[in-house]
Amino acid sequence: MGKGAYHVTNAIRSLRFRAGDMTQQQLADLVGVTRQTVNAIEGNKYSPSLEVAFRIARVFDVPLEHVFQYEGPEAGRATPR
Amino acid sequence: MHLSFHEKSLWVTLLTLVGAFRIYFTAAVQWYRQFAGTAPGMAVDVMPPQVVLLGVAIGMIVVATIVGHALIAIADRRTETDERDALIALKGTRNGAYVLATGVFFALYAALATDGNFIFTHVLLASWVLAQLVEIASQLVLQRRGA
Repeated sequence: MGKGAYHVTNAIRSLRFRAGDMTQQQLADLVGVTRQTVNAIEGNKYSPSLEVAFRIARVFDVPLEHVFQYEGPEAGRATPR
Repeated sequence: MHLSFHEKSLWVTLLTLVGAFRIYFTAAVQWYRQFAGTAPGMAVDVMPPQVVLLGVAIGMIVVATIVGHALIAIADRRTETDERDALIALKGTRNGAYVLATGVFFALYAALATDGNFIFTHVLLASWVLAQLVEIASQLVLQRRGA
């Protein structure tokens, strides 16, 4: 299965804005990564590890799926029996 | 364009390697031409002055890298790295390994096809230097592109 049709998007920019215009550097310091990594995640150029993803969600005090969305064809979803 | 400490560190290492080995290989090519010109058909071996110059080049790299890193650490206190840097380093190492593996086969060919150890040694050394440059350049590109 090709990876191209699937991708992870995120709402970090709007969450930062809602959190009192938090800067990328401030978020990076809270999460424990570099500002460049926050920038890469925000620009959908890098998918973080689960640990970093959970830490970002914890900073904004929202569930993980409010921060990250996994987009792709519906065919990939398992059908409940 | 704001560079992280890690990127600055990569640039220092890259420029240091290029500078030191440019001096070394320019001298090595001149020596080879000189020797091959005066004694055509003779086996060319690595000689003590070349070993000394290689030692000087490595010494230059060590000193320039230490000084360079001290200066960028003074200018930028944020010296931490994270999971993305580790991933980028792994990808860079992988790319460098391809170059080194290819270079080893070129060196083996040189060992079989040429007399003396000069060409073999320098093809092997050039492969290692090229592998290092590819590793660092890959990391710099990946740092800009995301990962």
